[in-house]
Amino acid sequence: MLYETSSKYYVTCSVMNNCFFDKGKVLLARHKTSRTLVAIKHFNLEEFTQEQYDLIMEEIFFMRQLKHPNILPCLTSYVINFDLYVVSPLMGFTSCHDLISAHFQDGLSEIIISFFLRDVLRALDYIHSKGYIHRSVKARHILVHADGHACLSGFRYMYSLPKCGSLNKVHHFPLHTSHNLNWFSPELLEQNIEGYDEKSDIYSVGVTACELANGIVPFADTSTTSMLTEKVRGVIPQLIDCTTWFLHDDDQYSKDEICYSNENIENENQKIISRKFSNSFHAFVELCCCRNISIRPLPKQLLNHSFFKPIRRIGINLQELLQPAVPYTETNTTELHEDVAVINDLSYDFDDINIYPEEWDF
Amino acid sequence: MPLFGKSQKSPTEVVKALKEALTALERGDKKSDKAQEDVSKNLLLIKNMLYGNSESEPQTDIVVAQVAQEFYNNNLLYSLICNLNKIDFEGKKDVAQVFNNILRRQIGTRSPTVEYICTKPEILFTLVCGYELQEIALNCGSMLRECARYEALAKILLNSEDFFNFFRYVEVSTFDIASDAFSTFKELLTRHKIICSEFLEQNYEKVFKHYQRLLNSENYVTRRQSLKLLGELLLDRHNFTVMTRYISNPDNLKLMMNMLKEKSRNIQFEAFHVFKVFVANPNKPKPILDILLRNQEKLVDFLSRFHTDRSEDEQFNDEKAYLIKQIKELKPFLSSSTVTGTSVASPANINTFSTSYRSIDNVNDKPIIFD
Repeated sequence: MLYETSSKYYVTCSVMNNCFFDKGKVLLARHKTSRTLVAIKHFNLEEFTQEQYDLIMEEIFFMRQLKHPNILPCLTSYVINFDLYVVSPLMGFTSCHDLISAHFQDGLSEIIISFFLRDVLRALDYIHSKGYIHRSVKARHILVHADGHACLSGFRYMYSLPKCGSLNKVHHFPLHTSHNLNWFSPELLEQNIEGYDEKSDIYSVGVTACELANGIVPFADTSTTSMLTEKVRGVIPQLIDCTTWFLHDDDQYSKDEICYSNENIENENQKIISRKFSNSFHAFVELCCCRNISIRPLPKQLLNHSFFKPIRRIGINLQELLQPAVPYTETNTTELHEDVAVINDLSYDFDDINIYPEEWDF
Repeated sequence: MPLFGKSQKSPTEVVKALKEALTALERGDKKSDKAQEDVSKNLLLIKNMLYGNSESEPQTDIVVAQVAQEFYNNNLLYSLICNLNKIDFEGKKDVAQVFNNILRRQIGTRSPTVEYICTKPEILFTLVCGYELQEIALNCGSMLRECARYEALAKILLNSEDFFNFFRYVEVSTFDIASDAFSTFKELLTRHKIICSEFLEQNYEKVFKHYQRLLNSENYVTRRQSLKLLGELLLDRHNFTVMTRYISNPDNLKLMMNMLKEKSRNIQFEAFHVFKVFVANPNKPKPILDILLRNQEKLVDFLSRFHTDRSEDEQFNDEKAYLIKQIKELKPFLSSSTVTGTSVASPANINTFSTSYRSIDNVNDKPIIFD
């Protein structure tokens, strides 16, 4: 299928989300030629510094070099006026981060998480085999298709491993990632002579597992410095349920909060305290976040973990499990009869256009 | 030799198998699916010989030398690139990786593959044409940039008629391909200072006629990137002759003055960095001086209001203040003095810019800052 490089061929339906530090928008649009729905990232390049521009370019290049059912592809990209448009297939349920904040504030159920993480690990297995480290696995970068399969995105922090046999270590610290620090592995954060490798991504998978299950990323309320020291000391992020609740002295769910008068919060907490994640899920997280890198498994090995066994049960309908979330699909999407460009015109800041009024005298 | 598992094929065998599969693929008969599969399989074997994989270390120099030698003997680099479009997605990337590895090969200070490609320049030209095909453009781009690192190959590319295709490629509608072509284009024009400046001097008319089109492009990214590159080229002291010529042409000055007033602030800012060279030139030709004089008041007024919010950019503010001062002090042309004066412009003033010209490419080594 050819995706054209002009806004004429896409009809905007709505604005789904913001992206790239809220500097970009994700539009839901219909590709006229194929009559399919697509997601179009839109950036106003005029607001971008050269560095930010390079980051976006890098991301598109990486997306173009990867081809895997669990990796979000870039169908095409084009520029009109100051705007860059990056076209991808539509992921109807949007990102896991959005799912959590809209419908699952206490976290997703274990079975859903196992499906999503299986897809993420498959994607990572492929990425690693091509010699890259993803470096940005997090709920925000796990996108869910309307049929329930998950795709990994967020490739602007990806990095190439040096290609020389089995001894691959890198030392490069990702740029512009202050917002990703909570997901980083201790060895990446430590920045020592030993460097880190693709197993750093596995640590992020562990942190993401907690994020998906708890509804909030571990260390969210910890200062950056103590997050770093805790990770380096080997403190393992945990799933919060009835078995770990009282071990947990995190500020987020501190015991004071239980006595807090607000009934809602108490009910919420009650729900969290009474739930129980399976032992294999707890073991899975522990294995992913293992401080000792030689024990931490690779994606292929992790895919055989008992945590993924329940997936094999037949008749699991992810769409049902994800209710009340409803995906964007053909049936619930209406077209705005405007080109992609029209909506964006509204977003222009006309206030800084103070062109010197006088004509030069040539 | 591993005790278990398949015994390894020798490089000669693998390369032979690759060549056969490639010939079958080229023929494109009924068996081409099988041929495509075989090409990819053998490419992967070769890639793992050269790079190693998670289970094995890369092979010794002898094996690498053998692979390379077999590639030269069978003219395989060329046939791989010619048939790149028919190879599957992962295979295309493997071709690029194998190519780049063989290219980097060294014996002492010699680069045998570079010498080899010098005798087969059609490899380079085929790579350039790769930008015409969406499916292989980025793969060819990565190989071309690896080639451009070698002076001998960059020289062949610059001096070929095909180089001028880049002026078209950097403007294609698919953003990622245009950007990739631009990186290669920039690499070719800036990497090897001496041959670049020679090329620009010898082909001044033609290059800048084409370059003008980029500066007037409808594509904002092309305009912004090419203007930025122009600034970098002119302020590179190796290109002094080219710069002197560029800043003597009143049409170029007019273009920059108009770009200073463009709607895009980024373009205004890049145009400033070219415009400043015209003003800093101590020996301005009469037509340039005339334009500046005719707009003396407007320019002073304009510049004092220009990007006033960049108060933290000290260098920019210094340069702006310098320009305002220079323009204020401009005096009408005195014909007698220049005839007797030295005809070569003193580079002193202009070079104060070039050494400190902000280079965005160097920001990658920032220390970590936790916030």
